[in-house]
Amino acid sequence: MRSLQREPVLLLALLAAIALVLAFIVYPQIQVVLVPGADGYVSFLTGGTWTLPLTNSIKITLLSTTTAVLLGFVFAYAMVYTPMPWKPFFRIIGILPLLSPPFVVAAVYILLFGPRGIVSYGVFGQSPSVFGLFGVWGVQTIAFFPFAYQLIADVLSRSDARLEQAARNLGAGPWQVFRSVTLPLSGPGLGAAILTCAIYILEDFGNPQLIGGGFNVLPTQAYSLIEGFGDFTGAAAVSTILLLLALSLYVAKTSLDRGRSFVTVGGKASSMPRPPVPVTLTRVCFAACLALAGLILLVYGTLIVSALTLYFPTNLNFTLDHFDYLRAHALSLQNSFVYSMLAAVGCSIFALFAGFMVQRGTWPGRKIFDFLLIMPAAIPGIFFGIGYLTAFNQPWSDQLAEFFGQRDLRAELIVIALLFWNIPVAYQAITVGLRQIDKSIDEAATSLGASSLRGFRDVLVPMLGGSVQVGFVTTFVRAVTTLSVVIFLFTPRSTTATITIFQLVNDFNWGGAAAFTVGDVGMAIVVLIVIQRLGGRLAVTGFRGG
Amino acid sequence: MEDISATGYDRRNFLKIMGLGASAAALAACGGGATAVSPSPTTAAAKTAAKPTGSITVYSALNETTNNQFGDAFKAAYPGTTIDLLPLAAAGDLQTRITAEKASPKADIFIGGSSEFHDPLGKAGLLENYVSPNAAQLKPEFKDAAGFWTGWYTGIFGFIASTDRLTKEVGGKLPATWDDLLDPVWKGKLILPDPVKTGGGYIFIATQIFRFNKDEAKAMAYMKTLHGNIADYIGTSPGAIGAVSQGQYVGCPNWAHDILTEKAKNPGVSLAVPANTGFEVGAVSIVKGAHNLPLAKAFVDWVLTPEAGALNVKLSNRGSTIASVPPAPGAPTLASVSLVNYDRQWATDNKSRILTLWQQTVGRS
Repeated sequence: MRSLQREPVLLLALLAAIALVLAFIVYPQIQVVLVPGADGYVSFLTGGTWTLPLTNSIKITLLSTTTAVLLGFVFAYAMVYTPMPWKPFFRIIGILPLLSPPFVVAAVYILLFGPRGIVSYGVFGQSPSVFGLFGVWGVQTIAFFPFAYQLIADVLSRSDARLEQAARNLGAGPWQVFRSVTLPLSGPGLGAAILTCAIYILEDFGNPQLIGGGFNVLPTQAYSLIEGFGDFTGAAAVSTILLLLALSLYVAKTSLDRGRSFVTVGGKASSMPRPPVPVTLTRVCFAACLALAGLILLVYGTLIVSALTLYFPTNLNFTLDHFDYLRAHALSLQNSFVYSMLAAVGCSIFALFAGFMVQRGTWPGRKIFDFLLIMPAAIPGIFFGIGYLTAFNQPWSDQLAEFFGQRDLRAELIVIALLFWNIPVAYQAITVGLRQIDKSIDEAATSLGASSLRGFRDVLVPMLGGSVQVGFVTTFVRAVTTLSVVIFLFTPRSTTATITIFQLVNDFNWGGAAAFTVGDVGMAIVVLIVIQRLGGRLAVTGFRGG
Repeated sequence: MEDISATGYDRRNFLKIMGLGASAAALAACGGGATAVSPSPTTAAAKTAAKPTGSITVYSALNETTNNQFGDAFKAAYPGTTIDLLPLAAAGDLQTRITAEKASPKADIFIGGSSEFHDPLGKAGLLENYVSPNAAQLKPEFKDAAGFWTGWYTGIFGFIASTDRLTKEVGGKLPATWDDLLDPVWKGKLILPDPVKTGGGYIFIATQIFRFNKDEAKAMAYMKTLHGNIADYIGTSPGAIGAVSQGQYVGCPNWAHDILTEKAKNPGVSLAVPANTGFEVGAVSIVKGAHNLPLAKAFVDWVLTPEAGALNVKLSNRGSTIASVPPAPGAPTLASVSLVNYDRQWATDNKSRILTLWQQTVGRS
C-alpha cells in the first residue's frame, strides 16, 4: 500500500472507519466501564464474590476451546481434504449449531440427556446430571465448533497443494505431510479459531445459565446481578473483568504469531490437485461427521416434534396450532430477518475494509484498531445492549429521530449493535485470508498505477470470497438468534424473533416456543442455502476447495 | 396491541436513516456529548376534568397472555386511548432498562414484577410519586410508604412435584412444612431455582431465615442439610418447573401460580404450599418523565380496580391485593396458607450478604 497522504480517499475512508469504531464499540463500552466508579470497583473486588466465577470461567474456557477447536479442525479437514460424500449437507450441519436461539436448544439437551432424558434414561437407562461443568463443556463444544470449523476450513482451502505434493514427491508419508506442512500452514486459521472460540466461550451466557446449574461463570454472575438484584454496578464490574481477560487472550495470541509468515498464495495460482488422503482416513472422517450430524439433527428434530405435539413429551397428540404463533408474531420474525440481513451486509463490508487497512497498511495505531475489532467478542451481549442504550438513548437522539419523522431510532440502533457485536468473526476471517495472500499480488496492481483501494477492490476482494462468506453467514446467524443484545434495545415496533421466543418460554408455552424457533431457524436455513448457492457461483477464487 | 402498520417503516427511509443516523451518532459520540441539547418532553396537554386520552408506553413484566387481554380491557375502559406495550417477562431487565434510559425516559408505566424491582427505582428518583385514590382500600403492606409504587397482585411460594415419581419414590406425601424436605428420602430428587440467579431462589432462603426468626445460623444449617438432598440448582424458575413437569426430578420449591399454570397443561404435577411460606407483592409504578402523565395515572387507577384485579387472577393464577377479588380455582390465597413474617425491607437490604453466606455454607465460594 502506498503512503496514506498520497491517497486522500483512502485516508478519509480510514478516518470514517475509526470514527465508527470509536462511536459504536468504544464509546458505549466506556459507559458501562464507568458505571461502578472507583468506590464501586473497590467494594466489588474486595467483596470477593467474583473469584469462584472467575476460576470457573477460565476452567470452562480452556476445556471448551480445546474440544471445540479440535472438533472444528477434524470437521474442516474432512470437508477440505477428503473426498467424503454429502459435503453440501455437512456444510449446513457445520453451521446449524450457531443457530441456537435462547433457552430452547439448551432445554432440548435437558429433555434428551437429563436425569430422565429421552436418550439418557429412555434409551440407556442412565440418570446423568447434565447440570454443571460437564454439561456446559459438552454443549459449548457443539455450540462453538462452527466458529473453528469455518475459520480453519477457509484457511485449509486456500493452502497451496503444491507444497504438499512436493513433500509427497520427496518421500514424506501422509502423516508426515500433515504434521510438517498442513498443520503449520493452517497456523493463522488455528490461531484465529482458538482466539475467537476462547473469547466467545468466555463471554457465553446462555449455556452456563441454563445447563450450568450451580456452576457459575462471570457472564452468568453479571446477568444474575442484574436480573436477580438490579445491581447494575456489580454487573458492570464483572463486565470489565471479562474485557481484561479478553485483552490478555489477545495479547497472548499476537505475541505467539509475531514475525511468522503464513503466505500460501503467491503470485501464481495453482490448480494442482491435493495429494490423495488414505481411504481409511476418509472413512473415519465421514463416520465422525455423520455421528456429529446425528447428534445435531437429534436436537433440531426434537424441536420439530415439540412444535408438532400438544405438550411434548407428556402429551404427544399431533397439532398444528403452535404454528399460529408464527402468524401472530410475524412482525418479530420479519424484523429479525431485515435487521440481520442489514447487519450481515454492513459487517462484511466493514470487516473487508478494516482487515485490508490493518493487514496492508502501515499507519500508526493499527494494533489498537486491531484489538478494538476483536473486543466486542468479549462483551457479553447484554452489556453491548446496555452500553448502546446508555450512550444513545439521549435527548439528542430523540431530536434526530424527530428530524427523520420517526418516533425513535431503535431499529437502526439494533442493526448497528448487531453489526459491531459480530465484527470479530467477520474481521478475523478477512485477516486470516489476507495473511495468506502474498502482498506482491496487490502490489502488482498498485505498481501498475491502480490506487490501493482499486487494487483492493479488483484484486483482493474477489480472492477473499470465502472469508467474506464466513463473516456474512456468522453475523447473520448470530443476529437472528441473539436475545441478549436486543433485550435492552427493542421497542414494540422493533421487536425480534428471540424476544418472542423468550416470552413464550416464560409463558410455559413449550410448543409455541418450539414452533417459533422452528420458524426462525427455518428462515435462517433458507437464507444460508441461498447464500451457499450464490457463494458457490460468485466465488471466483481458484483457491477454494472446501 | 399497538397499531403496527400505521407506523411501519418505509424501506427506503429506513436505509437512509441507517446511513445518516450512523454518521450523525458517530460524530455526536466523538464530540463527547458536546451536541447535548435540552430535552424536549412532549408533555401532554394540561390536565382536564375529562377522561385522559392519547397513548402510553407500558413496560410489562407480566405473562404474554395476560399482556394482550389486559391491554384490550384497559382500552375498552378508556376508549380512544392506545397502549404501546413492551413485553419482557424479566422485571430485573426492565428495572435496569429504566435506569439506563433515565437521560430520556421512554416508558410511562412499569407494571409487574415484585415490588423489590420497583422500590430501588423509587429511591433513585426514577419514579413518579403517585398515590391512587383506589389504593386507599389496600392494606399498608401492599403499598410503598413513600408513594412510588402500589402492590396490586400477590404471588405465593409453593412446591411442585411430579405426582407419579412422588408416589413411587418418595411415598406419595407432599411436604407439609419446609422441614419435610430434609428427609433423606428426597436425596438427589429435589431441585431449587438458583438463589444467586433467580428472585424465587432468594425468596426461598429469606423465607427460611424469617422462619427461624432471623436466626441466620439456624437458617444456614437448614440450607446446608437441604443442599445434601438437592440434585441441581436451576438457572431460571420456569426452567425448574419444566424439569419437574418432565419428571427429570421429583420436586422443587417454586411459585404456586406458575405451578398451577403448568398443571393446566400437564395434570401429572401436584402443587403444595408448605407452612410458613414466603410471598411477593407485584407492583405497578409510573416512570418519572412520563410523556402522558394523566393517562398513566388513569392506568394505575384502573389496575387497582376489582375488574382489572379479577382479570389478572383469571389469566395468571396470581392473587389480587384487593380483598373482594376471589382467587383462581385451586389457587392458594394469603388468607388460606400459613405465611412467614416476611420482612421485605430486610430481605432487600441484606441480599448480597445473605447470598455470600449461603454460598460459603454450601461450599460454592
